[in-house]
Amino acid sequence: MQSEKQSNSPIKKLLQSISDASLVPFLAILTAVVIGGIIIKLVGGDPFLAYKGLLQGAFGSKKALSETAVWATPYIFAGLAVALAFKGGLFNIGAEGQLAVGAVFSALIGYALPEWLGFDLPVYIHLPLAIFVGMLTGGIWAGIVGALKAYTGGHEVINTIMMNYIALNTTSFLLNGIMKDRSPTNVIARTPLIAESARMPEIFDGLRIHWGFVLALLVAFFIWWLLNKTTLGFEIRTVGLNPDAAQYAGINVKRTIILTMMLSGALAGLAGSIEVTGLNYRHELGFSIGYGYDAIAIALLGKSHPLGIVLAAFLFAAMRNGATRMQFLTQLPVDLISMIQALILLFVAADAIVRYIYRIKSKGERVVLTRGWGG
Amino acid sequence: MKKLYFVMALVIVASMILTACGASAPTEADCSKAEVFCVGLVSDVGKVNDKSFNQSAWEGVQKSKTDGVADVVQFIETADAKDYAKNIGTFADAGYDVIVTVGFGLGEATVAAAATYPNVKFIGVDQFQAAETPGVTGLNFPEDQAGFLVGALGAMMSKSHKIGAVCGTDVVPPVWRYGEGYKAGAAYADGLNGTTTEVFVVYHSDVGFDKTFTDPEWGAQTAKSMMDQGADAVFGCGGLTGNGAITAAAQAGAFAIGVDADQFLTLPEAASRMLSSAMKLITPGVADLIAAAKDGSIKAGNFNGKAGYAPYHDLDSSVPAEVKTAMEKINTGLLDGSVTTGVAPAKP
Repeated sequence: MQSEKQSNSPIKKLLQSISDASLVPFLAILTAVVIGGIIIKLVGGDPFLAYKGLLQGAFGSKKALSETAVWATPYIFAGLAVALAFKGGLFNIGAEGQLAVGAVFSALIGYALPEWLGFDLPVYIHLPLAIFVGMLTGGIWAGIVGALKAYTGGHEVINTIMMNYIALNTTSFLLNGIMKDRSPTNVIARTPLIAESARMPEIFDGLRIHWGFVLALLVAFFIWWLLNKTTLGFEIRTVGLNPDAAQYAGINVKRTIILTMMLSGALAGLAGSIEVTGLNYRHELGFSIGYGYDAIAIALLGKSHPLGIVLAAFLFAAMRNGATRMQFLTQLPVDLISMIQALILLFVAADAIVRYIYRIKSKGERVVLTRGWGG
Repeated sequence: MKKLYFVMALVIVASMILTACGASAPTEADCSKAEVFCVGLVSDVGKVNDKSFNQSAWEGVQKSKTDGVADVVQFIETADAKDYAKNIGTFADAGYDVIVTVGFGLGEATVAAAATYPNVKFIGVDQFQAAETPGVTGLNFPEDQAGFLVGALGAMMSKSHKIGAVCGTDVVPPVWRYGEGYKAGAAYADGLNGTTTEVFVVYHSDVGFDKTFTDPEWGAQTAKSMMDQGADAVFGCGGLTGNGAITAAAQAGAFAIGVDADQFLTLPEAASRMLSSAMKLITPGVADLIAAAKDGSIKAGNFNGKAGYAPYHDLDSSVPAEVKTAMEKINTGLLDGSVTTGVAPAKP
């Protein structure tokens, strides 16, 4: 009997590992929601109405579901970007900047390429090209940080933050300057609209959900496959767990670090290009602000597992999207949503608190977020 | 077992607190009924307590409720630009009769929503309608009159009879109207009092759009050079550039004059020397348009709101009574049309 119990079927094993992995995040969410409810009450609101609004706004209708998916799309890409870096032992705080770079260059290809060429491109060339350039530029932007890490030991946390400043201020400069929409009534810092041939087709008439969402799910699967079923994925994970052992085992650690950052940046850049080609059809200052930072939270909450990230992205998307209806029903400040998100994160990151509250014993290995200086 | 008890206790306590407190849910008025007149406001990225456009507009919406025009008023604060359409749609789908959208940024989303929701009246604050869209009324303001008022005030208050204005680029018509209105107002005050006031108006037209409204250092420098030439009142019109000029003037002890909203409230570093501000009267403008929407007299296109000037606040005691009276007269004159600024709508 005993031996039979131990050799569970793979499906049971999978379910067991999923429930193990999701227990702490689930309890963290529950605790945050309860504390959030108490705070809503303290500021004079009705917590039940607030949460009802949140759920209705996020899932209550076709339109609500579509908007939640629209919000989840960049979160999935950017969350995967941060998670991939985590797996490689790198803390990519630069998703925000990489995303902006990807969005700017996708928009540039989207609106300017037909002008430069002097003829219109078919959609099956123009759209993939715009997306590819966004990925490429995001990847290069992050690759610089990877190279600095690999060859000089410059810590990626500092460098990605610095690169964020450069990216965001350069974006502001470009959108206010040479890339600004020149139509006479426009005073906003934004690019012109991209050509029809660089836009993703709608999935359903009248709903804003776009094929980028489907792509996000496919990419999540691809990243899982890459990390777990390929040599490159094995190298990334090994370098992430122990670069010295990886070096000893004959893995080119420098190359892997740079490659990990480039892949991570490409995913963040993809988040930006999809927002441009799938949703906004242009880039504007103020679009996409904070996604890169939310992505860190999503990667943490999803425990850097692609499936976890899709779920965490949905949670964040639902909260952001449902916030509108919550405010509509209760007139509470939307900042409450950010506060509840922060509480969830606090409890996930400091999982000792949750384990202590619910008396759960710790098991399994800790997630390696990043190694120390010069690691 | 200990663990389980703890979880259960937590859940029970939490649900008790929540139910005990959640008893008084507000009764939801049904906005889809014709007799219930509902007004929703969508803010631009920002809050309804920003002491500026969003807040003034929300106060206008609230006024329509206290006046008995609207039965239900609600706001939604936009947290991200991509939610513009959704936030407008939240009100429209709930059967709201009027939706106020605040700021130029919502202009396109408002026009697009008007096509989707033909039964809703849209009021776009500071959204100039280049082409008329059925259902959309842009609430705009006579900046020349606002500039005229503070120009007259500056001229009457100046001891050196030299006053200045530091503005963003004159290519933007509202900025041009502020600056030229300022000149015209000073000249009008001279005509009343038999004085001769020298007016320096400098537009920051030498740089691109990326810089003209975001150059506080240039604004401060320009204000200082005006004060070196003897100016003792400075009007700042043009975002951060103007704010730089206002702050520099206040620090040098000159009269500072703000723009758009009552900047006494939004620019604390200059508040002690803030004489007044050239104001767009958003609150009454929004309330008037909501009333017009209810009685059906609202028209698509552009609606001209009213201009005004902010209270003197801290400097109230240093403004002579005759200046206050003169300012009230000029204001009344502008409102009834007996005083005109003579400023063209845009730089010729």
